[in-house]
Amino acid sequence: MAFVQVVQGILLVTGCLFFAIGTLGLFRFSDTLLRIHALTKVDNLGLGFIILALVLNAASLAIGVKVLLIWVVALAASATSAHLIARAARLQQGDDSEPKGSHD
Amino acid sequence: MTLMFNAVAVFLLLTLLVALVRIWRGPTSSDRMLASQLFGTTGVALLLVLAEAQVAPALRDVALVLALLSVLAIVGFVTRVIQIDRRAS
Amino acid sequence: MKTVATILGRVILLLLVWWAFTEGDVSGLGFGLVIAILVAAVSMRLYPRGAARIRPVQLWLFVLFFLGRSVVAGIDVARRVLSPSLPVDPGYFTVHLTLPEGSPRWLLANALSLMPGTLSVSLDGPRLELHCLDTQSSVEEDVRAAEQKVARVFGLPLPDETCHSEGAR
Repeated sequence: MAFVQVVQGILLVTGCLFFAIGTLGLFRFSDTLLRIHALTKVDNLGLGFIILALVLNAASLAIGVKVLLIWVVALAASATSAHLIARAARLQQGDDSEPKGSHD
Repeated sequence: MTLMFNAVAVFLLLTLLVALVRIWRGPTSSDRMLASQLFGTTGVALLLVLAEAQVAPALRDVALVLALLSVLAIVGFVTRVIQIDRRAS
Repeated sequence: MKTVATILGRVILLLLVWWAFTEGDVSGLGFGLVIAILVAAVSMRLYPRGAARIRPVQLWLFVLFFLGRSVVAGIDVARRVLSPSLPVDPGYFTVHLTLPEGSPRWLLANALSLMPGTLSVSLDGPRLELHCLDTQSSVEEDVRAAEQKVARVFGLPLPDETCHSEGAR
């Protein structure tokens, strides 16, 4: 029992850490598209760790499956949002397809 | 364990708040739309943790709906941007 | 007869989803059955069987591959954010997909957004434009590897090998 709780604690702390890094990334990156990278990848990893901790804590099998399904929906939602915002940001930036350099 | 979950919820709320301050500063509208994506991940995590901490199963349904609606908000935004782009060109 | 089996399979799958979303509440299963049958009927109109069949074993292999890669992606971006010099070299990169139109392409585009270094920006026919965190890294190889996995999930012939070896570098 205690072992499970230790694992859960580690998962929760790791998840929080990644969410904090995701937020830090929003501040450090100067370009919209880079910020989307940070928000999509890091925050989803954080969500993954927190979901794992919650699944370990689930009162019944159904609740565990439900939390996992919500995770799948959130992953799909996040990937789709990232793609759509990236496309909008690209349109707003105009068609200057210079390969490098972050716009400030 | 409940204490731990509550602490995690408070922490997530704080990161959400800090991130919102950044997003509020913009500068472009795409940057601001990131708020919707932020709620789609951090918001979902926050609600799921709260559901566990406060023993409120309904919050899990809220998390599900939030994840789904965050995409719809962005779809609405993107269609507007694309239309503006068409009109400009 | 095969259509009936497909419908039955979908109804059972939807009932399982219903069961999970009602948190195992037995009293709601009657409603759930009605809804599951209706949704299965609509899904037969929207996604008729045939064309691309999903291979369950390959799907699980893809899920494992995807989870591993997305953990790498998260750690990779976290490392870049945390290092003081902010080592990024962003740029756009266009690949031509060999996957067919529809779900396979979208699955690949969405999965790539959560994989290390890539973010799909626009998908126009077979042209997929990616935004890369680091243009020095082997983006093309990563994309081809993911493309092969997706092709296997849908039981499609693997993308051209010459394309694969021609790739990056």
